[in-house]
Amino acid sequence: MVFDFAPVITYFPTLLKGVGVGSLVAIAVALMSIIGGLVVAVISIYTKKVVSWPLRFFIWLFMTTPLLLQLYFLYFGLGEWILIPAIVVGILGLGFHYMAYNADIFIATIKSVSDGQYEASRSLGFGHWNTILYIIVPQAFIRSIPQLGNNMILMVKDTSVLSAIGVAELVYASQYAISVSFRPFEFFMVIALMYYVINILMELGQAWLERRTAYRR
Amino acid sequence: MSTEQSTDTPMVEVRNVHKRFGDLEVLKGINLTVNRGKIISIIGPSGSGKSTLLRSVNHLEVIDEGAILLDGVQVNRPDMKGLAFERHINNIRQNMGMVFQHFNLFPHLSTIDNVTLAPRKLKGMDKKTARELGMEQLERVGLAEKADVFPNWLSGGQKQRVAIARALAMKPKVMLFDEATSALDPELVEEVNRVMRSLAEEHMTMLIVTHEMSFARDVSDWALFMDGGVVVEECTPDKLFSNPDQERTRNFLQKHLGNNH
Ligand SMILES: Nc1ncnc2c1ncn2[C@@H]1O[C@H](COP(=O)(O)OP(=O)(O)OP(=O)(O)O)[C@@H](O)[C@H]1O
Ligand SMILES: [Mg+2]
Repeated sequence: MVFDFAPVITYFPTLLKGVGVGSLVAIAVALMSIIGGLVVAVISIYTKKVVSWPLRFFIWLFMTTPLLLQLYFLYFGLGEWILIPAIVVGILGLGFHYMAYNADIFIATIKSVSDGQYEASRSLGFGHWNTILYIIVPQAFIRSIPQLGNNMILMVKDTSVLSAIGVAELVYASQYAISVSFRPFEFFMVIALMYYVINILMELGQAWLERRTAYRR
Repeated sequence: MSTEQSTDTPMVEVRNVHKRFGDLEVLKGINLTVNRGKIISIIGPSGSGKSTLLRSVNHLEVIDEGAILLDGVQVNRPDMKGLAFERHINNIRQNMGMVFQHFNLFPHLSTIDNVTLAPRKLKGMDKKTARELGMEQLERVGLAEKADVFPNWLSGGQKQRVAIARALAMKPKVMLFDEATSALDPELVEEVNRVMRSLAEEHMTMLIVTHEMSFARDVSDWALFMDGGVVVEECTPDKLFSNPDQERTRNFLQKHLGNNH
């Protein structure tokens, strides 16, 4: 077999655009899933059952069904009633999916903060919710960084699934180029390499963040 | 001991306090008064209810019967509910410093932030004023140079001194110590005791639960021996430690004197 990378070079700007779209989606999903996951975790731990149980059901639902099915459901299912742009559906779908996984992490780390921390804060005069805000959540967040990082690395790879609903991220962007150049192998090799680089960068970032916060745990 | 004129007015009053955990009655009608500027030590065997009593004073334990007063204001208010009680108790607690056996410093905050968080968030103090106040408190415990260090980098003794500074930063009317030195290596006990002694010299009102008999004898104005959820005997520390009236006190002291555990 003879490799021919010329089409890859020709269509490289298209691929970069795909990386751009993918990155945009990933950043939006990271923000949504981390902030949302934290809120879901706090509510599901600290509020009454009528509020927390539906949330726990939501987490369970998203963790036990495939991502692709969730995306189809949102895009084609809801598409029966309202037309939402694919990229918005993609962000929401991935966002909810990883929100559930992140909430699961936060629930564990919030519970791992010792009662002594809560009591020390209350003994200074902080109220229940202020204690959660200033003492419990920041500590839980720091403890969550390693697992959150892992989730976000998985999430970046999962942005490729959005090609199934037509979001022009990297994999989708390559499809036209492949169909006219008949060089799928070369394209997929380069795309794999691009994911690999992004992955390495994220792992470095995660390690840096962990080092920066380890002494605050 | 104190030179202040108002030392005969009560700062903390514990009146006929009962506390149960399920079927187990841990406090069986405790009465106790700490006057302004006085230091009271509580000793007693493990499980006698010392921590429960101290924690009841600032409502970390909810008592079943009786009343607790801080400077004339009732702490426990069975008549108050929900947010109203939360506001009440938060105010009360701002006037009581509590020091725990295991320090409970906030690991995500630097030493100075541990000390200034409460004044900033609860009293609305600006950052600069709070830092000055914080440095003052850290100097008081001899740790000004550790201001920007994180708790994980401190020794046990240093951690406990920061915890004391954190409590002092709220300018409490009374300090509660629950075995402040029992989790420390023996060589670190003295630095914490020294800080507590200096507070005594400043006439801080203190309620101290301790296993350190000689320290209690040294520092306190009054001493209590608790066993089985009751105050068995109370008197001056000199009398309690050298010539107690009660058989139970004598037995306890025989086991514990000379061996501070
Ligand atoms: N949250 C709780 N639930 C049930 N029982 C408890 C609880 N806290 C304390 N107890 C029980 O109450 C009794 C008194 O405990 P407390 O901690 O007040 O004793 P203590 O005098 O401080 O002992 P030590 O010297 O070991 O610290 C013990 O029998 C203990 O097991
Ligand atoms: Mg105790």
